Amino acid sequence: MSQATCSRFLDLRALAALEHMRFTTRHRIDGAYSGRHRSRQQGGAGEFVEYREYTGGEDLRRVDWKVFGRTGKAFVRLHQDETNLRCTVAIDASGSMAFRGGNKGAASKLEYAQFLATALSHLIGRSQDQVGLAVLGEGLRQTLAPGSTLPHIRLVQSEVERLRAESARRMATSLNQLFERSSRRGVLLLISDFLMDDLQELIAALRLFRHRGWEVIALHLVHPDEERLPAGTAFRFEGMEADGAVACCPAEIRTAYEQQFATHLGIVRQLTLAIGVDYRLVSTAIPYLQTLQGLLVERTG
Amino acid sequence: MFLHPWAIAVGLAAAALPIAIHLLTKPRPVLMPLSTIRFVREVLRQRRARHRLRDFLVLATRTLAVLLIAAAIARPRFGEQALVRDAEAGSGVRIILLDASQSMAAVAHGTEGIERARTAAASYLRYRPGLRANLIVAAASARAVFPDASYNLEALRRELSNAKALPERLDTQRAVTLAAEMLSKGSDSQGVRELVVLSDFQRSNWSQVDLSAIPADTRIQFETVREGDTPANLALLRAGVRGRVTQGATAALEVEVGNFSAAACPVTVEVALGDAVFRLGGICPAGRRTTISEEIQWPQSGWQIGEARLVDIADALTADNSRPIAFEVRGKPLFALVTRESAAERLTSSHYLDCALVPDANKDDRASGKIVRIDPQQPDRQTLAAADLIVLDHPGKLPAETVEFVAGLLRRGRASIYVAAEPIDAGNLRSLSNLLGAGLRLPVEFLADATDTERSGLFLTSVRNDTAPFSVLAENAAKITGQLRFAGGLNTRKLTDALEDDVLATYNDGSACLVLSGSDAGSLAVLNADLTRSNFPKTEAFVPIIEELVVRLLSPRTSEPAFVCGESLLVRLPAAGGTGEVLTIRGPTESVAGRSLGELTADATGSVWHWPTPDRVGVYRINREKNTREQDTVMAVAVSIAAEESPLESLPLSTLKDRLAAGRQVQIRSAGASDPSQDDVWTWLLAACVGCLLSELLLLLSFRS
Repeated sequence: MSQATCSRFLDLRALAALEHMRFTTRHRIDGAYSGRHRSRQQGGAGEFVEYREYTGGEDLRRVDWKVFGRTGKAFVRLHQDETNLRCTVAIDASGSMAFRGGNKGAASKLEYAQFLATALSHLIGRSQDQVGLAVLGEGLRQTLAPGSTLPHIRLVQSEVERLRAESARRMATSLNQLFERSSRRGVLLLISDFLMDDLQELIAALRLFRHRGWEVIALHLVHPDEERLPAGTAFRFEGMEADGAVACCPAEIRTAYEQQFATHLGIVRQLTLAIGVDYRLVSTAIPYLQTLQGLLVERTG
Repeated sequence: MFLHPWAIAVGLAAAALPIAIHLLTKPRPVLMPLSTIRFVREVLRQRRARHRLRDFLVLATRTLAVLLIAAAIARPRFGEQALVRDAEAGSGVRIILLDASQSMAAVAHGTEGIERARTAAASYLRYRPGLRANLIVAAASARAVFPDASYNLEALRRELSNAKALPERLDTQRAVTLAAEMLSKGSDSQGVRELVVLSDFQRSNWSQVDLSAIPADTRIQFETVREGDTPANLALLRAGVRGRVTQGATAALEVEVGNFSAAACPVTVEVALGDAVFRLGGICPAGRRTTISEEIQWPQSGWQIGEARLVDIADALTADNSRPIAFEVRGKPLFALVTRESAAERLTSSHYLDCALVPDANKDDRASGKIVRIDPQQPDRQTLAAADLIVLDHPGKLPAETVEFVAGLLRRGRASIYVAAEPIDAGNLRSLSNLLGAGLRLPVEFLADATDTERSGLFLTSVRNDTAPFSVLAENAAKITGQLRFAGGLNTRKLTDALEDDVLATYNDGSACLVLSGSDAGSLAVLNADLTRSNFPKTEAFVPIIEELVVRLLSPRTSEPAFVCGESLLVRLPAAGGTGEVLTIRGPTESVAGRSLGELTADATGSVWHWPTPDRVGVYRINREKNTREQDTVMAVAVSIAAEESPLESLPLSTLKDRLAAGRQVQIRSAGASDPSQDDVWTWLLAACVGCLLSELLLLLSFRS
């Protein structure tokens, strides 16, 4: 991959520090090709795991005859297959993701997600793993099946770059559509602010993924100005999902708002954890590289 | 009413200030997209009702605070505005008329009226540029501190602080006249004229006051110290004996008690006379005057001096619960028979009179009196002066000095019977009448004309049977008087302005038979008949009629004069006092000694004690020095509080305003009532304003929490 990249969100110089790290998973996964990740299947190749007593019908080629000679009992050698990782990055591209707070020059949540997704796709691509893309809105706005080739990676990154926030108050539908289109198990990395009207339905959709054996990682993006209202005497807040505007004095509702928002965070965390989703709250105030490093380190164990 | 009404307009404008400030300073909202607007909306939905209430309360407290500040600046004054205000700027003349009569000592709500009046008056004597003032302390006399209104308010306040209730009644008209003079003197000044009257406006004093002398442009402010119901008061209005008290005889000791309260009250009056103490008791109906009396025998002659007091009475005015008493118990009467007739002759007119005046057989020891014959040409003045009754019968032509002396005695209270039998008597009576002047007003003129037919066979056609002396005949009067036949005497002519009642009996020819008239303090009876030629002395009616006539003459013609504190005292001393004797005046207590107690002046017939302003209640005595050690009381006078001061009922203030003010600017208010202009309401308004601001703070804190 050349230094000149096609995506403005890909900063290879910054990612150089993370080149030695790879996006991995603790679960066994299904992959299309041989890779570095533990496969759900245990075959004759790969790293030896254990012996198991032979049962009728098994392939006799896996019987360890030396052991049979010493013990008189037939044991089968079990080996862990290794396969590649299929990761689908689902990005919430609703209107609320365009929030960049009071500082007009600061990055929006969507841009943060774009940086994160681009960097992650780059790392996954370097690991010969497959990465796909799903853009979530009212419906599934775009989807790219996982792939590991460089053009595919560039395609993913260019699609990420072209992402624009659009008003979308419901997201469960798009996720369901993604589920229907996904035929094989893999890793679903959902980057969202979870500010939608159908949170329960979204959780239900995620539950489907989990039932099918997907590993779901939820990165909950939170902008600092969402956590606490901006300082000032009066603001006229405009909704980002075409949901009107409201004028108020932030000082008067600051505490209640913070409580309300904290409650929302708690609910999202609780709901996702309840269905086995790997939930991670990400503040956009933290550099995305730091966030990414933390995510990779944690997953590497 | 507001001291600064303009502040109200400013305040109303300022009341809109919080709203205007709110609108003007309402921050322009910063437009900002917010992804979490749903939470903002939710929070606002939850807090909207609370915030609306908070906003309304905050706005209300702020507006109220502004209004309260405006009201405080405007200085609201509740109640009627005083016509005379101590804080009013500008030059002017202000006269403070302070009622210092006895009734002002009445206690109501624990405070004497004079105390309240002083406090109220002091507020009108505060320094004000251009103010000239004067203080009139009014009682029986009105005394101004300065001859004219003065700028020296300090001196007026000093005098005011020394003012106290005097045992006098209020001469309202005199005080008002003095105030009017003061106000008129200030007419050349350009300022306002103000008269402040502080009084209890006792009905007895103020009912007839005339304010017409006060300049028409004067602001008159009546301030009453009496509020609410009239305080209950019991008073001794009179104490003494009625009529002539004779040694050895009984006479009624009387006290008059006034119950000026709403309930009947049992009273006990203790009368201390020398060493003797008499207790009189009775029930006094509410709102009435009750006379309680007790018949007492007086064994000793001389002046009885003491005090009567109400026992165990607690009322509003304590000063009238006691009263000094002084009266004389006289000895046996001494009759001076001035006649030319000899005592040795019988069947003479003087003999008949001698027998009638002292009817007892043993004339040296007669209980009814003593008679002394006096030669009219050479009268013994000492004896004449000492006599209780002077009888002139056939005196002939009396010397001028004798007539003058007798006239002087009559003026001083002596009684006299003149038997007019001869034409010369007409001349004596005319001389006597001329000397007494207006003091003696006989109803008829006795004529000395000799041309008329001889007067004989006269009988009575008109007799006043209902009065003494003919009342003694009771139901037999007509029968007895019908038998009487008279002769002699003088023709009479009725005087035009004579009193008909003074003619007690009239002959059939229209001439007067018996007339009785007062002559200053004394009395003169004229019997128009020649007793020697009449059958009157020979009838059984003669002695009782003469006796009754004597009793009537010796009895005081009017009740004992009441000497009132503060009012001019003029006492003619008994002629027995003589002119060459040394007389001294003694006050009721030794502390009075050294002060002026009036002066004694002597004239031809005796001495006169004149004291323009007796200022202390008590018994004053005129003593005659017998020798260096002994003194004899010639006269005793009880100076007491005027009974008019005891009823504490106030004149309805509307009467003062409507009837007496005669269209002047008059205001009536309670003394000591806070002047709205000095009202401290503004301080409370400011306090309320601070309260509003604190409430706002608490509101904000509570809503924040």
